[in-house]
Amino acid sequence: MIQDALGIWIAALLTLAALSFLYKDNPFFRFAESLFAGVSLGYYVGIVLNQTLEPNLFEPMRQDFGQNWDLLVPGLLGVMLYVRYVPKIAWVSRYALSIYVTYYIGVEFTRRIHGEVLPQIGRAMLPLSRFDLPTLYSAVFVVGVFSVLIYFFFSREQNAVTRPIARLGVWFLMISFGAAFGFTVMGRVALLIGRLNFLLQAWLYPLFGITS
Amino acid sequence: MKRIFTWLLKLDRRWIFLFVLFSVATPIVFPIGLPVTTTDSTRRAFEYLESLKPGDTIWLSFDYGPSSAPENDPMAEAVMRQCFLKHVKVVVLALYPLGGLGLANTAVAKVTAEFPGLRYGEDYVNLGYKDGAAAVMRRLGEDIAGAFPTDVNGTPLSRIPMMRGVHDIRNVKLVFTAATGVIGEWWITQVHSQIGTPVVIGPTAVSAPKYYAYLNAGQLVGMLSGMKGAAEYERLLRDTYPQMARFYKSTRTFTATKGMDGQTVIHTVMIAFIILGNLAFLVTRETGRPEAAA
Repeated sequence: MIQDALGIWIAALLTLAALSFLYKDNPFFRFAESLFAGVSLGYYVGIVLNQTLEPNLFEPMRQDFGQNWDLLVPGLLGVMLYVRYVPKIAWVSRYALSIYVTYYIGVEFTRRIHGEVLPQIGRAMLPLSRFDLPTLYSAVFVVGVFSVLIYFFFSREQNAVTRPIARLGVWFLMISFGAAFGFTVMGRVALLIGRLNFLLQAWLYPLFGITS
Repeated sequence: MKRIFTWLLKLDRRWIFLFVLFSVATPIVFPIGLPVTTTDSTRRAFEYLESLKPGDTIWLSFDYGPSSAPENDPMAEAVMRQCFLKHVKVVVLALYPLGGLGLANTAVAKVTAEFPGLRYGEDYVNLGYKDGAAAVMRRLGEDIAGAFPTDVNGTPLSRIPMMRGVHDIRNVKLVFTAATGVIGEWWITQVHSQIGTPVVIGPTAVSAPKYYAYLNAGQLVGMLSGMKGAAEYERLLRDTYPQMARFYKSTRTFTATKGMDGQTVIHTVMIAFIILGNLAFLVTRETGRPEAAA
C-alpha cells in the first residue's frame, strides 16, 4: 500500500517536472529527462541480459555445452562488434557487422516482397472492365503513386509533360502529410489525456479524499 | 477588431498551453459522454471476433510500452473482455521490450478479475516477454514451444491444458496486436503474409496511416486506429453485450470512450485556434506581422 502510494507520488512529481518545460526550461525538467533516459537504458540492458543472453546463450551452454557449443559463434560475433572501440583491431568488428547486415537483408527482402510489395500491387491492379468503387480507388492509388514517383525523379529536369504530373504528386503528398499530421495530433493528445487522467484520478482525487 | 487580432498574435503561447490543459482536464473531471460513431475497419475487427466459436484460441500480443498505454490499453482490454464473454481462449504475450510485459500483466490481472469463473491455463495463458520479435514470429510458424518453452510463471507449455492443441501459430484463429513502432507491421508481413494467420491491429494514432495500405490490400482483417478506434470498439462491445456497460460506467476507470470527450473538446479548440490565427493573419497582414512574443 505504501509502495503503491510512493510510486504514484514519484510518477506524479516526475510528470509535473516533465510538463514544466512548457513554461520554460528548468532544472526539474532536466532532472526528469536525464532520469528517464538513464532508467530506460538501464531497464533495456537488464532486459537484454535476462531475456536474451541468459536464456539463449549462457543457460544452454551451461546445461549442455556439447550440444550447444555452436552458440559460441553468435556469442563471439556479438563480442566482435565491441572491438571497434580498440582502434588497432577495429577492423574485426566489420566482419560481425557484415554478417548481421547480410542476415537482416535476407530476412527483410522476403518480408518486404511477400509482405508488402506483391500483395499491395496485386490488390491495386484491378480489371478496368468493370467500373465500381474499388476500381476507382485503385485508379486513384495508381495515379498517386505514379505522380509522386515523377516528383521524386531528379535525374532529369522537369519538362512541360512531367511538371504538371509532379505538381499533382505534390498534392497527393500534401494530403497524405495532412492525414498523418492529424493522426499525430490525435495520438499526442491521447497521451496528454492519459497523463492528466493519472494526475487527477490516481493522485489528486485520493489525496483530497474525493470519490468519483 | 484589428486591435484584438494584433493582441492575439502577440499573445504569449504559454497561455495557449494553459488553455489546452484546461480543455483536456475539464472533460476528465466532468465527463460529457459524447456519442462515438464506428468505422468500417473497427466493425470488421469486432465482427471477426464475434464470428469465433467458444473454445477457439486467439493470440493477443502486447507490442507497446507505457508511452502509448492510454491508446493501446483500452483496446487490448476490450478485446480480452469480448473473448472471455464468448469463451474464446486468449494467449497473451509481449514482444515490446520497454514495459510490454508489465502492461500485459496489469491488463490480464485487471480483466480476469472482472470474470471470476476464468481459470488460468484453461481459459487464458500468459507466455511472458520474448526479445527479438522478428525471430520469435518466424519460430511461431514452426512450433510455439520453441519460442516460448514455458509460460510467464515457468510452467512448461506441455503442462498447460489450453496449449495442447496449439502447436504453432496456424492453430490460432486470430492474432490481435496492440502495437506501437514496427512490431505490428511484422505480424502482417511475416505472420499473415508468410503463414496465413489473420491479423487485427490496434496501432497508435501516429502509426495508423501506414496501416491503411495493409488494410486496403486485404492483409488485415480490421484495425483500431488509436484512442478513437479503441472507443469505437468499446461502443460495439457495449451495444452487443449490455452487461459490459458497467465496466465502462465507473468514472475511476480510464476508458477510451471517456478519453474521446477530451479529444473532441481539444480538437474543437484547435480548429477554432487555426481559424482565429488565420483570420488574425489576414486582418493584420496589411500592417505587417507583429513581433512574436517570447
